[in-house]
Amino acid sequence: MHIDLNSCFATIEQQANPHLRGKPVAVAAYETSNGCILAASVEAKRYGIKTGMRVKDGKLLYSKLIVLSPDPWKYRSVHLKLKKLLSYYTYDVTAKSIDEFVLDISDFTKISPCQDKVRSFGIMCDVAREIKQRIRKEIGDWLTVSIGIAPNRFLAKVASNLHKPDGLEEVNKDNFLNCYLRLKLTDLPYIKMRNAARLGSMGIYSVLDFYHAPLWKLKVAFRSVNAYYWYLRLRGYEIDDIEFGRRSYGNSYALSKPLATPDELSPILSKLVTKMGARLRCAGYKARGVNISILYSDWSYWHKGASFENALFDSRDIYKKAFKILCQSAYQKPVRELAVSCFKLVKLDSLQLGLFENVDKKKDLVKAVDKINEYWGDPVCTGRFAITPARMFLTEPNSVPDRISFGGVKELEEFSLKV
Amino acid sequence: MVEKISSPVSVSLSFDSKKRKVYPKWIIWNNRFYPIVKVGLHHTFRQGRTLFHVFSVASKSMFFRLVLNTENLHWRLEETSDGELS
Repeated sequence: MHIDLNSCFATIEQQANPHLRGKPVAVAAYETSNGCILAASVEAKRYGIKTGMRVKDGKLLYSKLIVLSPDPWKYRSVHLKLKKLLSYYTYDVTAKSIDEFVLDISDFTKISPCQDKVRSFGIMCDVAREIKQRIRKEIGDWLTVSIGIAPNRFLAKVASNLHKPDGLEEVNKDNFLNCYLRLKLTDLPYIKMRNAARLGSMGIYSVLDFYHAPLWKLKVAFRSVNAYYWYLRLRGYEIDDIEFGRRSYGNSYALSKPLATPDELSPILSKLVTKMGARLRCAGYKARGVNISILYSDWSYWHKGASFENALFDSRDIYKKAFKILCQSAYQKPVRELAVSCFKLVKLDSLQLGLFENVDKKKDLVKAVDKINEYWGDPVCTGRFAITPARMFLTEPNSVPDRISFGGVKELEEFSLKV
Repeated sequence: MVEKISSPVSVSLSFDSKKRKVYPKWIIWNNRFYPIVKVGLHHTFRQGRTLFHVFSVASKSMFFRLVLNTENLHWRLEETSDGELS
């Protein structure tokens, strides 16, 4: 069962503020005209306003659009309430993103007295209806979810997208061909322009073509094991029941004014590294690689990574490496977005003693600073620090704000552990 | 219009032991009395060691974001809105 909270951020804002209900509302990363719309309410979507649009474009479509800044804790709180409610039905609840959950309730029908398929679907629908009712009653009366039921996660997501908002659909062995007939290739999750072009090159233009295509054709189109995965997904086999572990930590920031030289960028880099370092250590990791990526104002892109023999855990050491990489950029153009990440993660407790420095002492110092920051600030989520590098004071107070990342749920682990 | 503010506010909070629900009943802000007609959402967040409770509530014509600091039990009004375009 796939559960999708409709227009998540915008609906939660309407839930919080009853005076916004029934009005076109958009939550945007920034309220300024170039801010990117993160979520549009159901009413705003009727005017063609979509996620990813600029605020100015949204206002062109509907001049009275109400634009709000994101409030991450509000959304995380609803996410946690939803997760708690859904855990009542099965222990197998997976959060796919801030607004999407997958429930494996196949055991639910096994313990019920009826064995025939029709009645077991009836039970699944009853469960889905009860979930919808309980969400309205216990979490928020304005919140609606679209629920999809299918033999695998992928088709359940497809089913949940069939009817929005407040939908309840099933894809099963009797109706899947009809469902495929109603959809375009790009309506399928994970199939966008590039994959559609790949499939088009093999004469696959519709979902039905995709389903009927033999495996060899898909292999030629995808040129990877993905061909086989797609072959199975479309036939209802479960292959997405995998949780990928954390492989990197990173932070990025879209600059409000165009800075170009490493010296100008260093305060922002320092803040990004300090926040990333705190998150890295909080999760119990250190890293053996650092990567810097830069998007310039002319939309050109530069990135470089470096690996090291010794794993780094102190933000000061990570900053030194990151700054060195930044200085290697051949361009001195105005920067639009700066991102830093660390990779090759190793567990923090596996500490290699150094010949030339007292690593244990450094570890204790960093641990003490982290404790002070956790007690007096909130380094992991909101990036408030009590003790910071002096360089960081040169940044604007609101730079590198708390954000919820798109598509992934990795960052949710960090606050779920804390709450 | 959404207005971000941060000012102390008087709040009456009620606890219903049967329903096990807590809700603000009225607030006094700028010497005006606003009865709360709806609690839209209640959520919490932490800033360091301090836990904050946020009540997003509405009077007949206004929206208020009320924040309770659980360390000193003081209330602050952080945001008001009339639900119209800013």
